[in-house]
Amino acid sequence: MKLGRIALLLAAATALQFFVGGSPHRAVWPVDFFLLATGMVARGGDFVRAVLVGGVVGIVEDALNHDLIGMNAFAKAALGYGLAFLSIRVMFGGPWAVGSALAAASLVNDLIVAVLGSLLLQAPIVLFSREALWRAVATGASGGVLEAARLFPWREWWERRRLRRLR
Amino acid sequence: MRLTNPRAEVLGPRRHRGELVLASVLGFCILILSAQAPARSRRGSVLQSWILSAAAPLASAVSALSRTVSSGAESLQSLWQAQSENERLKRELAGKNRELFELRAQASQRSEDERLLAASAALPNLRGAAAVLLVENRAGFQSAVIGAGSAQGVVAGCPIAVAEGLVGRVVTVGHAVSRAQLLVDASAAAGARISRTGELGVVRGDGRGGLHLNNIPTTSTVAAGDLIESAGIDGIYPRGVPIGRVTSVGRGSLFLEIRVAPAVRFSQLTDVLVLAPSPAIVDGLEGARSGRP
Repeated sequence: MKLGRIALLLAAATALQFFVGGSPHRAVWPVDFFLLATGMVARGGDFVRAVLVGGVVGIVEDALNHDLIGMNAFAKAALGYGLAFLSIRVMFGGPWAVGSALAAASLVNDLIVAVLGSLLLQAPIVLFSREALWRAVATGASGGVLEAARLFPWREWWERRRLRRLR
Repeated sequence: MRLTNPRAEVLGPRRHRGELVLASVLGFCILILSAQAPARSRRGSVLQSWILSAAAPLASAVSALSRTVSSGAESLQSLWQAQSENERLKRELAGKNRELFELRAQASQRSEDERLLAASAALPNLRGAAAVLLVENRAGFQSAVIGAGSAQGVVAGCPIAVAEGLVGRVVTVGHAVSRAQLLVDASAAAGARISRTGELGVVRGDGRGGLHLNNIPTTSTVAAGDLIESAGIDGIYPRGVPIGRVTSVGRGSLFLEIRVAPAVRFSQLTDVLVLAPSPAIVDGLEGARSGRP
């Protein structure tokens, strides 16, 4: 993925995070847009960019939501590497596989943050709460839909539609 | 699903570079986490404050857009209901007007009584209202970004509340936005009082949207439905602000195990009231500015 696109993706993820977070209906579909952005870069198979993007979005997320900067950066950098590894080593495709990988990544992100929070802040470990599971489902489903949209043959569909109209 | 990928061979060296970058980024994260952890105060770091300040314009603009879209959709839905309700309400209004004349005299007397009663209570000072820009709940950490910062007189430690009850406290302050720790955060705590019995305890968030009331002895007569309010003994929160209601009481060895349902619906927060910080926090801030311990 080109650097310009990555910058655009990061800005969009931050804007969407605020867009949903500022709405009173934020709990309806709580997508982790930062993880989606990391996943999209990792889907391209570039380890370096996936790790760096994960680190940057994690730092932004930490600055907005956490006492310590670095917890989400750590988790998302590792997840960026893991997702890029999955994308390269295991040739999997299709919305279901990508959605499942992102849902699992969302839960792993929670796990890493919980463990770091417990070690550094002595905070109690809270895992797999209803909200966390729902966020994993929402993030996975959104990632799956994006992958389906990416794989859909838009050009052919548009040509067929145009030809149908001409007839 | 196939386990061999032709791209894997081509990208071999890039993966090694990826491992190197991953190790560097993780090492960097551990370094900055280690640097923050020992000296961490509940006021947040300067870096956080800068990032919050830098994000303020984007946060405010996008949040305003989000609210506009939400309210637009709600308005459209309401419009359909409003037309039918309008007719019904007109009929009701005629009836209510008659009652109004009778009640006005009584209400005047009553409001005067209430004004006097309210003035004698320990009301917290209000700094102003702020929009909630972002609410985050991850791994038990529950926080909110609010649209008020040092420019509006917000300082770290300011309690935040809504009409229903206590919400949390500000922990990091930017120029125009701040970050607050919610009361339901797994590491949040507040001094609390059972309104009916007057017993004091500590309310803690469970990280899952609920609260626990600790340190209440087994001899207590607390029961489900009892109101829990802030006690004002923790040096952070003012006295008498509702926290929630007891939902269940269980017996422990020394203390009761009490679950409390928060008075505030945290998932639907849109605006909060920022209260003035307690004198202990103000003293601490002034001490820090003047170099006093």
